[in-house]
Amino acid sequence: MPSTETILNVGLTHYLALSAVIFSFGMIAVLMRKNVIVMLMGVELMLNAVNLSFIAFAKESGNLSGHIMVFFVMTIAAAEAGVGLALAVAIYKKFHEVNIRFFEHLRG
Amino acid sequence: MLWDAIGFYGMALFLIFFALKTITVPNPIHAALYLVLTMIGLAGMFFNLGAHFIAGVQMIVYAGAVMVLFVMVLMLFDLKAEIRSFSRGLLSGALKIMSSALLVGFALGSAGSSVAILDSSDTAPTQIDVTRQLGVLLYTKYLFAFEVLGILLLVVAVGVVAVSRMKGGTHAQH
Amino acid sequence: MGTDAFEFTINFVKMVAIFLMMVQIVPLLVWVERRGSAYIQNRFGPNRVGPLGLTQLLADAVKFLTKEEFVPGRGYPFIYYAAPVVAMIPATLALAAIPLSAPFHVEPFEMFGRNWGPYTFMFQGYDFGIGIVFVLGVSSLAAYALLLAGYGSNNKYSMYGALRASAQTISYELAMGLSIVGVILLFNTFSFTDIVNAQSAPLNFMWFGKKVVVEWLPNWGLIYQPLGAVILFAAMFAEANRLPFDLPEAEGELVAGYHTEYAGFKFNMFFIGEYGHMFVASALMVIFYFGGYTIYPWLTPETAPQIMGKLLGVTSATWMSFWGSILLHLVLMAKVVAFLWIFIQVRWTLPRFRYDQLMDLGWRSMLPWALFNTVITAIVVLLMRYQWGA
Repeated sequence: MPSTETILNVGLTHYLALSAVIFSFGMIAVLMRKNVIVMLMGVELMLNAVNLSFIAFAKESGNLSGHIMVFFVMTIAAAEAGVGLALAVAIYKKFHEVNIRFFEHLRG
Repeated sequence: MLWDAIGFYGMALFLIFFALKTITVPNPIHAALYLVLTMIGLAGMFFNLGAHFIAGVQMIVYAGAVMVLFVMVLMLFDLKAEIRSFSRGLLSGALKIMSSALLVGFALGSAGSSVAILDSSDTAPTQIDVTRQLGVLLYTKYLFAFEVLGILLLVVAVGVVAVSRMKGGTHAQH
Repeated sequence: MGTDAFEFTINFVKMVAIFLMMVQIVPLLVWVERRGSAYIQNRFGPNRVGPLGLTQLLADAVKFLTKEEFVPGRGYPFIYYAAPVVAMIPATLALAAIPLSAPFHVEPFEMFGRNWGPYTFMFQGYDFGIGIVFVLGVSSLAAYALLLAGYGSNNKYSMYGALRASAQTISYELAMGLSIVGVILLFNTFSFTDIVNAQSAPLNFMWFGKKVVVEWLPNWGLIYQPLGAVILFAAMFAEANRLPFDLPEAEGELVAGYHTEYAGFKFNMFFIGEYGHMFVASALMVIFYFGGYTIYPWLTPETAPQIMGKLLGVTSATWMSFWGSILLHLVLMAKVVAFLWIFIQVRWTLPRFRYDQLMDLGWRSMLPWALFNTVITAIVVLLMRYQWGA
């Protein structure tokens, strides 16, 4: 059990712990949910958790490259969300369902 | 220091609660709305960490654009709340949760043991004009990556238009 | 917030005052809108209750408060109730970051037997170093109020209104952001106060290695960015969901769009949000392109305290500074009111766009023009600042 000092002195470790917890939530959503769009949301959650750890590291080390990485991750996440949603809309138009199970029919 | 701790734990509880709600509520629209709250909370966290510009971008890009897109698409789909929103299989489910927990455990352990390596005392960032430094860094050291991202976005835009106008168009008969 | 009790109190009072200002301007605007529309359409408008119909607003408030409470069946009550609250948040938060006048300085003084140090109070809720990004970020949340209202009401008209609204807001946010980029490049800052200060000087820029100064023109953003100003103003109409961009509530097609199911005070909160948006939009236009709270060469943060000191016969530096700030605030409000009148005039003059025309305008003419404006501004600023300048 960490001491009161460690608990109250908020630093890098605390932010990393929070980031890890949120990341695991995103991972659980991707692994266990059946709705494709909720899975995409899980991916967004994971990316955001990583962003949080980047910013915490940037603050701790005084190096702004962490901010740049967050900037890039955000851009890529926006692109990923656009493509993912377009694919989901295409699937929905075909099957009227966004359950991941229906993606099996896409073979061949 | 006490106020810092209270602020951090308050925000962290807020974030964890909404992130948990995001992945557990059966109705996907509610999940999206909880995710919006998570994003706003993260923007507050970034602000707290001195990344003011990144916090603003988080609000504009994530909360203001990406999540609006999510909510809009979900509304177009007219989905009802799912009765079984999680995938089947007790054993596989347990394995999935355990693997996630293992990952968190590794992350926490490594974070706790590696913090001492980071020298934090004498390289504390000067909080003056972080935004300006960020811009200079983006257009000098990371210029190539920035340009590549621009091309990526263009390709993605074309690709999304192509996917959504696949043969049959919007009113395809199936 | 502050370091001691005095600063804390003043800042708190200031925040409450700014919030109340936004809420209280709404009934006045509603009155101006109704009387103004009556004037435009050659009718009387509300003129029965009180002088010039001014107390009509009180009667309206009583009516709003005493209406029957109503929740649509099979909707989502929590989301239904949350939507009006969310509608008010973006405008309120955005207004808190906008400087409404020059900061005023309080000299050291003695009170309750102790000395209170010199203070500087900003005339705004909270000074973010990156005010513009904050305002853009907060106002991008405005789409959620409409989405929540449409979804929580369980009504197909509300839903259509909400979908249209979110598409419209996303489309016009792009043009809005890009037109603001021109201003940011030009003044080389994210801070509203710096932008206003830059505009309180005579027109000056570098041109082929020479410094050009035009004494009889102010250094207003409008002179450098006329295209950006037009695009921003048009996009602001779309963001505030006002005619000619009020498709989300097009009453001819969608009953009343996203607020079909809302009545009483909940409806009134949407109203406050809409007028708050108008107010913020006008303030942004004034600050970016029309000199903010200054009028070159007469009223600048330097000259205003002297003028007010002569006018009111006060000599203490604190009170001169305070009354100077009030004078500059009145200047800003006069400019803002002019823009608010344009909003009202346009609403009662122009017809509504068709939906495809709206999207066409947003994506195929405003966005390319805003991009063009950004690129040209970037090139010229680069030349002015680094090639010809010092």
